[in-house]
Amino acid sequence: MRQTPTFAGSKVTILHREDGNTEKLVRQLRLLGVEENVQWAPLSSSDLPDIIMVDADQGWDDLLPFDRQAPLRPVVALLGSEAPGRIAWALSQGAGAIIAKPVASSAVYPALVMALSIQQEREEAQDRIRHLEERSRLRPLVYAAVERLMVSHAIGEDQAYRTLRECAMRRRLPMEQIAAFIVAGAEPLPEAI
Amino acid sequence: MTSIVSRQLRLTSPRPVRDLRCGVFWFWCTRMSDPIRIGILFSTTGPYGSMGRDARDGAHLAIAEFGDASDGGVDAVFFDPHADLAAYLDGARNLLRQGCRHIVGTITSAARKEVLPLIEKHDGLLWYMCPYEGFEANESVIYLGGCPNQHLLPLFEYLIPRYGKRPYLVGANYVWGWEMNRLARELVGSAGGEVLGERYLPLDETAVERIIAEIEQRRPSFILNNLIGPSSYAFLAAMRALADRDPAFRPEVCPVVSCDLMECELVDIAPGAATGQLCAASYFDTLATSENARFKRNVHARFGERRVSSVFASAYTAVKLALAAISAASTDDPRAVRQQLSRQPWPSLFGPLAIDAETNHAALPFHLGRINSSNSFDVIASRPPLAADPYLTGGNRLQPRLRVVS
Repeated sequence: MRQTPTFAGSKVTILHREDGNTEKLVRQLRLLGVEENVQWAPLSSSDLPDIIMVDADQGWDDLLPFDRQAPLRPVVALLGSEAPGRIAWALSQGAGAIIAKPVASSAVYPALVMALSIQQEREEAQDRIRHLEERSRLRPLVYAAVERLMVSHAIGEDQAYRTLRECAMRRRLPMEQIAAFIVAGAEPLPEAI
Repeated sequence: MTSIVSRQLRLTSPRPVRDLRCGVFWFWCTRMSDPIRIGILFSTTGPYGSMGRDARDGAHLAIAEFGDASDGGVDAVFFDPHADLAAYLDGARNLLRQGCRHIVGTITSAARKEVLPLIEKHDGLLWYMCPYEGFEANESVIYLGGCPNQHLLPLFEYLIPRYGKRPYLVGANYVWGWEMNRLARELVGSAGGEVLGERYLPLDETAVERIIAEIEQRRPSFILNNLIGPSSYAFLAAMRALADRDPAFRPEVCPVVSCDLMECELVDIAPGAATGQLCAASYFDTLATSENARFKRNVHARFGERRVSSVFASAYTAVKLALAAISAASTDDPRAVRQQLSRQPWPSLFGPLAIDAETNHAALPFHLGRINSSNSFDVIASRPPLAADPYLTGGNRLQPRLRVVS
C-alpha cells in the first residue's frame, strides 16, 4: 500500500435503523472526515454516495438500487447474524467487507479500506474482461487479414501472422484494428517479413 | 505473577489476584469519602523496562500529589506484566475485576491492542500516554502520547529541507516500526525523495552489523530510527563507530532520528554514543517552562536528583489528568469522565491540555531534541500544541511551519 487510504470528504450512507450501532458508526465516520447519512429506506440510484453500509440482518433486495451482479459502489455489510442466508444476501449485494455487530470502533476504517479496494479490483477486472471480450469478438478479422496476406504474398500462416503483428506494432495500433483496415481495403498490404 | 511493587515493599505473598493487593497504595486523607480506584499497568523489566520504571515512578508521583491535595484519596493498584504480552491481558482483567475502571498504561502498541478489547467490553477507560502510530480512535481510550501528525510529520518537515530526502528506515519488528516507516516512505515519496533501505529488528536483537554495512554503502541523508530498547542502543553505538571511521556519518551530517528515545534510556547507551543524534517528543527534561521547573522541583523532592523522561512526564500527566477528571465528574463512569475531560483544557506539565471530544486525543506540542554530552536533550525546535489527526484526514501532509528556537 503506497498511499494511506483516506476517506476525508467522501459520502457514506448507512442503511440501518438508528441505534447504538449506527451511533458508533457515525462517530467513527466523522473522525475519518466522512459525510455520513443514516436512513432505513431504499437508496435512490440518482444520488449514490461513495460507499454504502447496509444492515445485512434486516436488509431486503430493493434497498440497494443496482444490479447485484455489478455493484456500482463499495458495499460494507453490517452483520450480527451468522445465518448463512444473511451472509449470502450480503454477498449478493456486492459486500466487500463485513462489520460485525455490535460495532467495534476499530472495525470501521479497515472495512472501508477493504470494501473500497475490492470494488476497485472488481472494476479493474470488469474493464479487463470487457477489453478481452472485444478482442476475442474481433478475432475473425485477424484471421481474415492473415489469410489475405498468405494468399497475396504466398507465405505460411506463421509468417503472415508475424507480418501483421509487426505492422500493428510499427503503427502502434491493436492487431484487430490493423486487420480491420486491411480487410476493408483501407490499408495497403504490408510487405512480408 | 509477583508484582515488582510487592517486591519493593518486601511483601512476599504467593500468586494470583489477591497478591495484587500488596501493590495497593492507600492514601487516606482527613475525610472518609471513597478513594478513587485506578489501575496502573506497566512492565518494569524486559527490553523496555527502563521506560516502564520511569512511567511507574511518574504515576507514583501523581498519585501522591493527588492524595495530598484531595479529600478522598486514591486507591491505586499496580500490575507488572514484565513485558509478557499475554500477561498484559491478565493484568487488565485483574485490574478490571478489582473495580479499576480506569487503567493508565501499556507502552507498546502491541500491548495496547492486546488489552483494548477487554477494556472496551467492560466499559473501562485506558489512559494511553506513549507516542503511537495512529489509525486508532477508540472510545475506550484517552490518547495522551501523540500520533504521527504530532510527531512524524513535523519531524520530516524539519529534516527533509535540512538533510535531504533520501533516508534509511530502521524499526522494531512490530506494528509501531512497520507503520511509522510506511508513513515515512509515503512522506518521502510525496516530497519526491527515495527510501534507500528499510530494515526491522526484534526488540532484543543487537546484531546490527548488516544494517550498518548497508547504510555505509548506500549513504542516506538521514536515518529514521524506530527501533526500541537494546536493538536501538546497539544501533546508535554502531552508528557512532561508523561515524568515527567516516565523517560523512557524523550526526551533524547524517543524523539518526528517533520518535521514541528518552532520557531514561540514554544511560543504557554506550557513553557518548548517541551524542548529537535527534529525537522528537512532546516533553524533554530541559524544557524551559515554569510548569516544568515546578514539576522538576517536585520530582527531585521525592526521588532525589534525576532526569525526567518523556514517559515519566506522560505517565504523571495521565494519572494526574485521570484523577482530576474522575474527581471533577464525581464518578468514575467512563462516559461522564470523557465528557468532563473534553469540556475545557486542563492545566498540565505540557501547558493547557485540550482533549478532543471526537478523537479522544490530546493536542500536544512538538519538540525536537538533540542529545548532548550530559545524557540529556537540547531542545532545538518546537511547535505549539497540534491537534491530533489520527487518521490523517488533514489533506496536505507536508506543511513547513516549524519554528527554530535556537
